[in-house]
Amino acid sequence: MAAIGDEASAMDNSARASAAQSAALNPASSGGGSSHVEAPEEAAATPPVAPKKPHTNSDGGVETAEEAVEPAEPDINELCTDMFEKMAIFLQGELTATCEDYRLLENMNKLTSLKYMEMKDISINISRNLQDLNNKYASLQPYLDQINQIEEQVSSLEQAAYKLDGYSKKLEARFKKLEKR
Amino acid sequence: MASVDSQPRFGQSVKGLLSDKVGSCSGDVIALTRQVLKGSRSQELLGQAARNMVIQEDTILHSEDSLRKMSIITTHLQYQQEAIQKK
Repeated sequence: MAAIGDEASAMDNSARASAAQSAALNPASSGGGSSHVEAPEEAAATPPVAPKKPHTNSDGGVETAEEAVEPAEPDINELCTDMFEKMAIFLQGELTATCEDYRLLENMNKLTSLKYMEMKDISINISRNLQDLNNKYASLQPYLDQINQIEEQVSSLEQAAYKLDGYSKKLEARFKKLEKR
Repeated sequence: MASVDSQPRFGQSVKGLLSDKVGSCSGDVIALTRQVLKGSRSQELLGQAARNMVIQEDTILHSEDSLRKMSIITTHLQYQQEAIQKK
Protein backbone atom coordinates (compact mmCIF):
# COMPACT_ATOMS: atom_id res chain seq x y z
CA MET A 1 0.00 0.00 0.00
CA ALA A 2 2.98 2.30 0.69
CA ALA A 3 4.49 1.42 -2.72
CA ILE A 4 1.25 2.35 -4.48
CA GLY A 5 1.23 5.65 -2.58
CA ASP A 6 4.80 6.35 -3.66
CA GLU A 7 3.95 5.65 -7.28
CA ALA A 8 0.99 8.03 -7.13
CA SER A 9 3.11 10.80 -5.63
CA ALA A 10 5.81 10.23 -8.30
CA MET A 11 3.16 10.56 -11.01
CA ASP A 12 1.94 13.77 -9.40
CA ASN A 13 5.50 15.11 -9.27
CA SER A 14 6.15 14.36 -12.91
CA ALA A 15 2.85 15.98 -13.90
CA ARG A 16 3.67 19.10 -11.90
CA ALA A 17 7.17 19.23 -13.37
CA SER A 18 5.80 19.14 -16.89
CA ALA A 19 3.24 21.80 -16.01
CA ALA A 20 5.95 24.01 -14.53
CA GLN A 21 8.10 23.61 -17.65
CA SER A 22 5.19 24.46 -19.93
CA ALA A 23 4.35 27.47 -17.77
CA ALA A 24 7.96 28.60 -17.98
CA LEU A 25 7.98 28.21 -21.77
CA ASN A 26 4.69 30.06 -22.39
CA PRO A 27 5.70 33.37 -20.82
CA ALA A 28 8.98 33.16 -22.70
CA SER A 29 7.16 32.76 -26.00
CA SER A 30 4.77 35.66 -25.25
CA GLY A 31 7.73 37.91 -24.36
CA GLY A 32 8.45 40.23 -21.36
CA GLY A 33 10.50 39.72 -18.25
CA SER A 34 7.66 40.78 -16.00
CA SER A 35 5.79 37.63 -16.79
CA HIS A 36 8.72 35.66 -15.42
CA VAL A 37 8.33 37.54 -12.18
CA GLU A 38 4.59 37.06 -12.21
CA ALA A 39 4.70 33.32 -12.67
CA PRO A 40 6.84 32.66 -9.63
CA GLU A 41 4.66 35.07 -7.63
CA GLU A 42 1.61 33.14 -8.64
CA ALA A 43 3.33 29.97 -7.63
CA ALA A 44 4.24 31.54 -4.32
CA ALA A 45 0.67 32.71 -3.81
CA THR A 46 -0.63 29.16 -3.56
CA PRO A 47 -2.11 28.17 -0.15
CA PRO A 48 0.40 27.03 2.42
CA VAL A 49 -1.21 23.61 2.86
CA ALA A 50 -0.26 22.58 -0.70
CA PRO A 51 2.57 20.10 -0.81
CA LYS A 52 6.09 21.37 -1.35
CA LYS A 53 7.12 21.80 -4.98
CA PRO A 54 9.47 19.04 -5.79
CA HIS A 55 12.63 20.18 -7.50
CA THR A 56 14.15 17.97 -10.08
CA ASN A 57 17.83 17.22 -10.34
CA SER A 58 19.33 15.97 -13.49
CA ASP A 59 22.48 14.15 -12.67
CA GLY A 60 24.09 12.23 -15.49
CA GLY A 61 20.93 12.25 -17.54
CA VAL A 62 18.78 10.70 -14.75
CA GLU A 63 15.96 12.76 -13.30
CA THR A 64 15.28 12.41 -9.59
CA ALA A 65 12.54 13.89 -7.55
CA GLU A 66 11.76 14.16 -3.86
CA GLU A 67 8.58 12.89 -2.33
CA ALA A 68 5.85 15.49 -1.73
CA VAL A 69 5.34 15.70 2.01
CA GLU A 70 2.47 17.45 3.77
CA PRO A 71 3.49 19.79 6.55
CA ALA A 72 3.25 18.03 9.95
CA GLU A 73 0.84 19.38 12.56
CA PRO A 74 2.60 21.10 15.40
CA ASP A 75 0.76 19.16 18.17
CA ILE A 76 0.99 15.70 16.59
CA ASN A 77 3.29 14.46 19.35
CA GLU A 78 0.86 15.49 22.05
CA LEU A 79 -2.03 13.86 20.21
CA CYS A 80 -0.07 10.62 19.81
CA THR A 81 0.90 10.59 23.47
CA ASP A 82 -2.69 11.26 24.47
CA MET A 83 -3.92 8.48 22.24
CA PHE A 84 -1.51 5.89 23.62
CA GLU A 85 -2.22 6.94 27.21
CA LYS A 86 -5.96 6.54 26.72
CA MET A 87 -5.45 3.21 24.99
CA ALA A 88 -3.37 2.02 27.94
CA ILE A 89 -6.05 3.16 30.40
CA PHE A 90 -8.74 1.34 28.43
CA LEU A 91 -6.78 -1.92 28.27
CA GLN A 92 -5.95 -1.65 31.95
CA GLY A 93 -9.64 -1.22 32.72
CA GLU A 94 -10.52 -4.31 30.72
CA LEU A 95 -8.02 -6.42 32.66
CA THR A 96 -8.84 -4.82 36.01
CA ALA A 97 -12.45 -6.00 35.75
CA THR A 98 -11.35 -9.64 35.82
CA CYS A 99 -8.90 -8.93 38.65
CA GLU A 100 -11.68 -7.36 40.72
CA ASP A 101 -13.87 -10.44 40.18
CA TYR A 102 -11.06 -12.63 41.50
CA ARG A 103 -10.62 -10.30 44.49
CA LEU A 104 -14.34 -10.55 45.24
CA LEU A 105 -14.18 -14.33 45.17
CA GLU A 106 -11.10 -14.26 47.40
CA ASN A 107 -12.90 -12.08 49.95
CA MET A 108 -15.93 -14.35 49.90
CA ASN A 109 -13.69 -17.36 50.50
CA LYS A 110 -11.95 -15.60 53.41
CA LEU A 111 -15.27 -14.73 55.06
CA THR A 112 -16.50 -18.29 54.64
CA SER A 113 -13.30 -19.66 56.18
CA LEU A 114 -13.73 -17.27 59.15
CA LYS A 115 -17.30 -18.49 59.61
CA TYR A 116 -16.13 -22.09 59.50
CA MET A 117 -13.46 -21.31 62.12
CA GLU A 118 -16.12 -19.83 64.41
CA MET A 119 -18.24 -22.93 63.92
CA LYS A 120 -15.23 -25.08 64.70
CA ASP A 121 -14.67 -23.20 67.98
CA ILE A 122 -18.33 -23.58 68.91
CA SER A 123 -18.28 -27.32 68.18
CA ILE A 124 -15.05 -27.75 70.21
CA ASN A 125 -16.74 -26.03 73.18
CA ILE A 126 -19.82 -28.21 72.80
CA SER A 127 -17.80 -31.41 72.71
CA ARG A 128 -15.80 -30.37 75.80
CA ASN A 129 -18.97 -29.51 77.72
CA LEU A 130 -20.63 -32.77 76.74
CA GLN A 131 -17.58 -34.74 77.88
CA ASP A 132 -17.68 -32.97 81.28
CA LEU A 133 -21.39 -33.68 81.53
CA ASN A 134 -20.87 -37.34 80.74
CA ASN A 135 -18.18 -37.57 83.41
CA LYS A 136 -20.42 -35.90 86.01
CA TYR A 137 -23.35 -38.10 85.12
CA ALA A 138 -21.03 -41.10 85.46
CA SER A 139 -20.24 -39.99 89.04
CA LEU A 140 -24.00 -39.67 89.72
CA GLN A 141 -24.78 -43.07 88.23
CA PRO A 142 -24.77 -45.08 91.54
CA TYR A 143 -27.31 -42.70 93.03
CA LEU A 144 -29.48 -43.01 89.95
CA ASP A 145 -29.25 -46.80 90.24
CA GLN A 146 -30.33 -46.59 93.89
CA ILE A 147 -33.26 -44.43 92.86
CA ASN A 148 -34.27 -47.02 90.29
CA GLN A 149 -34.07 -49.81 92.88
CA ILE A 150 -36.15 -47.86 95.34
CA GLU A 151 -38.78 -47.26 92.72
CA GLU A 152 -38.95 -50.97 91.89
CA GLN A 153 -39.28 -51.87 95.53
CA VAL A 154 -41.98 -49.30 96.06
CA SER A 155 -43.96 -50.63 93.13
CA SER A 156 -43.67 -54.22 94.42
CA LEU A 157 -44.74 -53.02 97.88
CA GLU A 158 -47.73 -51.37 96.34
CA GLN A 159 -48.67 -54.61 94.59
CA ALA A 160 -48.37 -56.50 97.86
CA ALA A 161 -50.54 -53.91 99.59
CA TYR A 162 -53.24 -54.28 96.97
CA LYS A 163 -53.21 -58.08 97.37
CA LEU A 164 -53.42 -57.78 101.16
CA ASP A 165 -56.28 -55.37 100.86
CA GLY A 166 -58.17 -57.80 98.63
CA TYR A 167 -57.50 -60.74 100.96
CA SER A 168 -58.64 -58.78 104.00
CA LYS A 169 -61.90 -57.85 102.26
CA LYS A 170 -62.56 -61.51 101.42
CA LEU A 171 -61.85 -62.45 105.00
CA GLU A 172 -64.27 -59.83 106.29
CA ALA A 173 -67.01 -61.03 103.97
CA ARG A 174 -66.56 -64.68 105.12
CA PHE A 175 -66.63 -63.64 108.78
CA LYS A 176 -69.90 -61.77 108.33
CA LYS A 177 -71.39 -64.75 106.58
CA LEU A 178 -70.44 -67.05 109.40
CA GLU A 179 -71.81 -64.56 111.98
CA LYS A 180 -75.23 -64.53 110.30
CA ARG A 181 -75.52 -68.29 110.66
CA MET B 1 -7.62 -10.88 12.69
CA ALA B 2 -9.10 -9.58 9.42
CA SER B 3 -8.53 -5.93 8.76
CA VAL B 4 -11.11 -3.87 6.91
CA ASP B 5 -8.41 -1.71 5.36
CA SER B 6 -6.63 -4.52 3.52
CA GLN B 7 -7.74 -3.25 0.11
CA PRO B 8 -5.62 -0.48 -1.40
CA ARG B 9 -7.20 2.95 -1.53
CA PHE B 10 -6.36 5.21 -4.39
CA GLY B 11 -6.65 8.94 -4.23
CA GLN B 12 -6.22 9.10 -0.45
CA SER B 13 -3.51 11.20 1.13
CA VAL B 14 -0.73 9.76 3.24
CA LYS B 15 -2.26 11.37 6.29
CA GLY B 16 -5.59 9.65 5.72
CA LEU B 17 -3.94 6.28 5.13
CA LEU B 18 -1.86 6.66 8.27
CA SER B 19 -4.84 7.57 10.42
CA ASP B 20 -6.78 4.60 9.03
CA LYS B 21 -3.88 2.29 9.78
CA VAL B 22 -3.54 3.60 13.31
CA GLY B 23 -7.27 3.13 13.88
CA SER B 24 -7.22 -0.42 12.56
CA CYS B 25 -4.19 -1.29 14.73
CA SER B 26 -5.93 0.07 17.84
CA GLY B 27 -9.04 -1.95 17.00
CA ASP B 28 -6.91 -5.07 16.55
CA VAL B 29 -5.24 -4.57 19.94
CA ILE B 30 -8.61 -4.15 21.63
CA ALA B 31 -10.02 -7.22 19.89
CA LEU B 32 -6.93 -9.22 20.90
CA THR B 33 -7.32 -8.21 24.53
CA ARG B 34 -11.00 -9.18 24.52
CA GLN B 35 -10.23 -12.49 22.85
CA VAL B 36 -7.58 -13.29 25.47
CA LEU B 37 -10.07 -12.56 28.25
CA LYS B 38 -12.76 -14.61 26.53
CA GLY B 39 -10.39 -17.52 25.97
CA SER B 40 -9.40 -17.67 29.62
CA ARG B 41 -13.10 -18.33 30.52
CA SER B 42 -12.52 -16.46 33.74
CA GLN B 43 -15.95 -14.81 33.69
CA GLU B 44 -17.76 -18.16 33.39
CA LEU B 45 -15.74 -19.83 36.12
CA LEU B 46 -16.01 -16.88 38.48
CA GLY B 47 -19.75 -16.62 37.91
CA GLN B 48 -20.20 -20.32 38.63
CA ALA B 49 -18.07 -20.06 41.76
CA ALA B 50 -20.06 -17.09 43.03
CA ARG B 51 -23.35 -18.94 42.39
CA ASN B 52 -22.14 -22.01 44.31
CA MET B 53 -21.01 -19.80 47.18
CA VAL B 54 -24.40 -18.13 47.42
CA ILE B 55 -26.17 -21.52 47.48
CA GLN B 56 -23.78 -22.79 50.14
CA GLU B 57 -24.17 -19.73 52.36
CA ASP B 58 -27.73 -20.68 53.36
CA THR B 59 -26.56 -24.11 54.49
CA ILE B 60 -23.66 -22.59 56.42
CA LEU B 61 -25.99 -20.18 58.25
CA HIS B 62 -28.37 -23.03 59.16
CA SER B 63 -25.49 -25.13 60.48
CA GLU B 64 -24.21 -22.23 62.56
CA ASP B 65 -27.68 -21.66 64.01
CA SER B 66 -27.98 -25.34 64.95
CA LEU B 67 -24.58 -25.30 66.64
CA ARG B 68 -25.48 -22.25 68.70
CA LYS B 69 -28.73 -23.93 69.85
CA MET B 70 -26.76 -27.03 70.80
CA SER B 71 -24.35 -24.98 72.88
CA ILE B 72 -27.31 -23.38 74.73
CA ILE B 73 -28.86 -26.81 75.42
CA THR B 74 -25.51 -28.06 76.73
CA THR B 75 -25.29 -25.08 79.09
CA HIS B 76 -28.80 -25.82 80.43
CA LEU B 77 -27.85 -29.45 81.02
CA GLN B 78 -24.81 -28.29 82.97
CA TYR B 79 -26.98 -26.06 85.19
CA GLN B 80 -29.37 -28.97 85.84
CA GLN B 81 -26.50 -31.31 86.69
CA GLU B 82 -25.05 -28.79 89.14
CA ALA B 83 -28.46 -28.43 90.79
CA ILE B 84 -28.74 -32.23 91.13
CA GLN B 85 -25.28 -32.45 92.62
CA LYS B 86 -26.04 -29.74 95.18
CA LYS B 87 -29.11 -31.57 96.32
